[in-house]
Order: sequence, then structure tokens, then C-alpha cells
Amino acid sequence: MNLLRYYLRKVFAVLKNEVLVLPSRIVVLLFFLSMLLMPLVVDDPYFIRILVLASIFAIFAASWDLLSGFTGQINFGHALFFGVGAYSSAILNMQAGLPHWVTIPLGALVAVAAGLVVGIPCLRLRGTYLALTTLAFPIILLGIVFAFPGLTGGELGISGLTRLSTSRTVTYYIIVCIMLVSCTIMWKVTDSKIGIIFHAIREDELAVKAAGINTILYKLMAFCLSGFFAGIAGGLYAHFMRIAGPSTLEVHMSFQVVIFSVFGGIATIWGPVGAVFILVPLLEFFRLWPEFRTLLFAFVVILILLYMPGGLLPWIRNKVEEECPRCKIRNFAARRVCRVCAAEMR
Amino acid sequence: MKKIRSYWVILLVCALALTVSVPAWAKDTIKIGVIGPMQFVQGKGHWNGAVMAMEEINAAGGVNVGGKKMKIELVQADSNEFLNVTDATNAMELLMTRHKVDFVVGGFRTEAVMAMQDIAMEYKKIFFGAGAAHPELCLRVAQDYDTYKYFFRAAPFNSNYLVRSSFLHLQFVAGILKSQLNIPNMKVAIVAEKAMWADPMVTAAEGVIPKFGMEVAGVWRPSPVATDVTAELSAIQRSGAQVIFTIFSSSVGIPFARQAGELKIPAVQVGINVEAQKDSFWEATQGQGNYIFTMNTYSREVEQNELTAPFVNAYVERFGETPTYTADTYAAIKHSLVTAIEKAGTLNADKLVEVIRDQVVKTPTGVVQYMKDDQGRYLHELTWGPGYLLGLGVQWQDGKMAGVWPNKFKASAEAPEISYTGMVDYIIPPWVAEAYKK
Repeated sequence: MNLLRYYLRKVFAVLKNEVLVLPSRIVVLLFFLSMLLMPLVVDDPYFIRILVLASIFAIFAASWDLLSGFTGQINFGHALFFGVGAYSSAILNMQAGLPHWVTIPLGALVAVAAGLVVGIPCLRLRGTYLALTTLAFPIILLGIVFAFPGLTGGELGISGLTRLSTSRTVTYYIIVCIMLVSCTIMWKVTDSKIGIIFHAIREDELAVKAAGINTILYKLMAFCLSGFFAGIAGGLYAHFMRIAGPSTLEVHMSFQVVIFSVFGGIATIWGPVGAVFILVPLLEFFRLWPEFRTLLFAFVVILILLYMPGGLLPWIRNKVEEECPRCKIRNFAARRVCRVCAAEMR
Repeated sequence: MKKIRSYWVILLVCALALTVSVPAWAKDTIKIGVIGPMQFVQGKGHWNGAVMAMEEINAAGGVNVGGKKMKIELVQADSNEFLNVTDATNAMELLMTRHKVDFVVGGFRTEAVMAMQDIAMEYKKIFFGAGAAHPELCLRVAQDYDTYKYFFRAAPFNSNYLVRSSFLHLQFVAGILKSQLNIPNMKVAIVAEKAMWADPMVTAAEGVIPKFGMEVAGVWRPSPVATDVTAELSAIQRSGAQVIFTIFSSSVGIPFARQAGELKIPAVQVGINVEAQKDSFWEATQGQGNYIFTMNTYSREVEQNELTAPFVNAYVERFGETPTYTADTYAAIKHSLVTAIEKAGTLNADKLVEVIRDQVVKTPTGVVQYMKDDQGRYLHELTWGPGYLLGLGVQWQDGKMAGVWPNKFKASAEAPEISYTGMVDYIIPPWVAEAYKK
């Protein structure tokens, strides 16, 4: 009982001193709570579907940010990992008869292997060359998919995968919980020492090498981690849609994830996640004007990137929060003194 | 007075409860979802066909559902399936849950249709597929009937039959060349756009053409979006091919026809050229597409039966173009669905499935009857062949899309000849006739 009281008190203290002091953290808390409570309030299968798909794409977008945003390894062929995850899960499910809770992690591990396959030849490449090389990989895989229709289903893909659950609510919770956990892990990784090295590699790889850090290892780690989470997203997508088809490897899929990440703010993890939860429902909302749907979407994206080049969410965050000039801790913009060091904010 | 007022309140509450709990009582329209890539010509065909069906049915007083006349209401859903399969499934979910449609027609890209099919089946809604030709869609019906029985193919007939039709067209044209130009060893150049859907057709053509007594002169695979195909055409000319068997669904069909006409390549074109199925083909090729032969569904000049001309003429008048096969949403709604509803007297999907699967209805393209597979299982697949649906072979003749096949076509030696009204003779391009005149 005392232990419970201790933990409750600790949670309350963290909430009071760490979370409720910053608007961005309050938003994240509300996001977690609303995602977990949504099915209790909303009983609309269409809305739930949109949230489920947004959750899957949120993992996918965050995984791109982990690789390209943090490490600077610009990947224009991120659909490769998504597609590998989707196809591997589908093949294991349909051919080997394995259940989804086995196929999805195994699919993600195959995507990790794909990360190594892509990462190793790309180690010597940078910038535009790297981007163009990575763009080629899903196209190569697409060719392989069509070359072995007996295994991959060719242009039809593999259909009839087992559902995550027969209940929509349970499916929702499985996917949303995986999304929340995955994104938290990715955020924690980027917030750790590894994340700092990722940052450093992006800013000046030579300097990192000079500091005695094996950048090859870290770059490969970024490819593998990113591949793992994108593979998880692909596996979830395949089981949710009950089909893994060539569309999972299309260029559109790769560019979509870049748009999500740049719109939300790269090198943040939470930026791409937030962007997905804004853009996916927005695209559905634009169905009200079907002729102008794509145009409106493009207009919104261009407008945001034009006026908020760092991404929408970092822009909003910088409006409501300020960094303390002395201790660099973030504070609510309305505060006159820093919440930690009590220095004057202006 | 108080008592009377409370009676009124009870009555009102009961009426309200009935309205909410038994929506069918208040329902006076049949909602049909039309799903397709609405920003593309295929989706526009879906929508236009459905609009025509709705207007005609509603003008005639509506659908007789067990003695009650109900009007048709259409709901458009842009699947955006060429670009995004996820979008297509969202559109289907929207139709099912927000718009609460009773039936769905449309779909084009097979991968997307399969995903959409799963959603429609989950909600037990009848879905007429009017675009994807892959047999797998109907194989699912046979393999898991309880789940997939709500899916029916509306158009086109499945890809196996599309291939068989195009081979019949090849034999037809080769036969004319043989008889009129006395070419003993016919050579055929296979030209298929570099796309996956065309691969099995190329393999099949390579296997079948020698069996027809012809030689394969070579296989050429230009890009689907190629704008210059003179290299391929020169190579074909050097190969000595008299016939070019085309397999095009993309824009390459236009430059291929135009440049072949400009260069006066001495070989006739026959097969599938989707661009040549459109009214705009003549202008797009600046008249150089003259004498191009392609498989098609409709032609302004041809009447498969008495229903064709009224439909095609009304369509042309309403939308200013000849209908394409995705406009067969018209036949799916007007002839298959409404006929079944009026016969069954209900909107109950299970009861309607039992009627549709066994009914035989005449549509503007022919007679629709659903097939069973070899094991006698319901496939919900369109029957192809004489007396049912056969398709058309059209040739561009001086700016007009003329029907040339079936013209005195006999499926077997004993079978009766089949010709549609408005058929004309196939014309060998003059420069081809000139090249092989002896």
C-alpha cells in the first residue's frame, strides 16, 4: 500500500513539475490520453479507421525521421522497409501459417536485414547521391515482387491475411498501443547518447570520426533501427488491410513519409507523428471537395513549408515556449522568470 | 386535458422511437455508392454510367420494392486508387459507415478492388466490380462463398477472356491479310508496353501465335509513357512483320499509332490499345491512327442488341463522348441490380444474391449470366462467348470508330454466324496492301 502511495505521489510530482509546466508536454499527455480513450467516446468505424491508419503511418514517419532527420541519411526509398515488413508478414502468415503476433516482429527483423542491405552500400554516399540510391531500392524490390508472382502474388499482392482481431476496438488498441510504445522508444533513442551521436553525424561526420567514434556502426544502427520500426508499420498495415501489395513499395509511399516528416518538423520524432495526425484526417476532410482534394492538400503543405520551414509543430512550439537564456531549459512563453534557474526570460 | 396531452406525448415518443429504430420504414430511396478514381477517365465512366441509370430509373417512377416505389440516390466516392490504395479503402469505409449505402458499384485497380472488396463483404453489401478484370476477384467468391458472395463482376469480362478475344481478333485480321494479299508465312510482331499486367499476355501470345500458323517476328516492350517509338517501329519493319499485335493500356498507344502512320510501316495493328478506344484518339494521332484495330466495348455505329443504341446515343448526348467499359455501372444498376430488387421485392442483400447469381438479363453489351466454376461453385463471373458477352473489335476508319468484329463470326464450324448491327468490313491500310501486292 505504501509502495502504491509512493508511486502515485511520484507520478503526481512528475506530472506537476515536468509535464504540466510546458504546453508541448501537456499536448503530448492529452494526445496519449485521447488516443487511449477515443473508442470509449467515439463509435464511428470510419473515424476509428482513420485513426488506426494514422497510427500506422505515424510509426512509419517517425522511423524516417530517426534515420533521415537525426542522422542526415536522406532516404527517398523508405517504402522499402515498409514493403519488406508488409510482404514478410504476409508471406509468413499465409505460407507458414504463423499468427500475426509472430509475423509482425519477424517481418520487422527482415526489414532490419533490408536496412543492412541498403545501409552497407550507401555508407560511402552522401546528400543527393544517397537520396537517389535509396530511391532505387524499393523499385528493385518491386521488380523482384513481379518476378516471383508465385511467392509474392505479383501485381495482386498477397491477400486474405488474418486480422489483428475480429473486434475493431481491439484492433484499434493493438495498433495505437504499438504506435505509442514505438514512438516513445524512438524518441528515447534520439534523446539518449546514441541520439546525440546521430545528430553529430548529420552535422559533421568528419568531426565525429575525429572524436574516435565509429560512424559506420552508428549509421548502420540508424538504418537498422529505422528499418525495424518501418517494418513494424508495414506488418501492421498488411494485417489491418489484409493485403500486402505492390502499392506498399511505390514511390508515392516513400514521398508521403518525407512530406509528413518535413511538414511536422524533422529531427524531432514528435513532429512527424503530429503531422500524420493532422494531414491524414485533413486529407479525408478534403473529400468534401473531391475535385480540389489534392490541390488543397498541396496548397496547405506548401503554405506551411513556405512560412514555417522548420515544420509546423516546432513553429507552434517556439511560439508558446521559450528557452531560458541562461540554463537553456524550455519555459512557457508567458513566464517572466525561468522555472528552473529563476533567470529573467526577457 | 392533461390526460390527452400525455397521450400525445406518448404517441410522439413512440413515433420517434419507431423512426429511429426502424429506419427502413421511413426510407424511400435506395442509396448506391459509386466508387472509382473520379479524377481519371475510368472513374468518370463509373459515375456517368451510374448517373444515367439513376436518371432513367427515377424518371420512370423508381424501383418497385415489394409494392413500394423507391427512388435511386447516388453517392460518389473518389477512391484515388491509382495513387493510393489506402485512400480507396477509406472511401469504401466512408460509403459503408457514413453514407450507409445499400449497394456499391465501381472499382478499377485490382489491388485496390481486393482491399475494397474485403470491406464491402465485411458489411455484407452487394458490390458490383466495374473495372478490374483479374479472375482472382471472382475466385475468392468460389473459394469462400459465405464471405465473398456479395461481390459480382459487372465489367469487363475477366482477363482470360480478354486475352482470348484479342487472339480471335488477331486471327480475324490475319485471315483477311492472308486471303486478300496472299501472304503465305504471316509474321507477327508482339508490342506490349513495359508493364506487369502485359507480361502474361506476351507469354501467352508467344505460345499461341505459332499454333495459329504464324511466326513471331519478335517482342518489343516500349515504356508505357514513351513519346518516341521510331526505334521499335524501324526494327519491326526490318523484321518483316505484317501484323503488329499491340498490348497497350497507357499513353504509348498514341505515339505508336501516330508514328506508325507517319512512317507508313507496312504492318497492320491489332490487339488492345486503350487510347484507341477513346473518341479523342483521332485528334491525338492527327488522323495518323487511321486503320488501327482495338478491342472495345462500345462504338457509336454498332448495336449488339436493341438496348445498345438507346444507351450509347443517350450517353453521347449527355456526356459528349462514347461510353467506355467502366460506364457499365449503368447496366449493373439498371439491368442487374434493379431487375433483381424488383423480382425479390426486397433490399435484403442475402436474398438479392440468390436472385442475381441465377438471373439472365439483357444489357447494352449483351446477355449477362453469372458462371459457376468446374466444381459447380458460384463464381459470380460474367459468362463470355456467343449469346452472352463477346466484346467488340473496332477499327478507326477515316475518323470513325467502326465496328468490324464479330462480323459473320463463327465460334465453331457448326455454330451460327454472329454479326452485330452496324458492322462494316475491315479495311487493310492502303500502304500495307501496296507493300504486299504481287
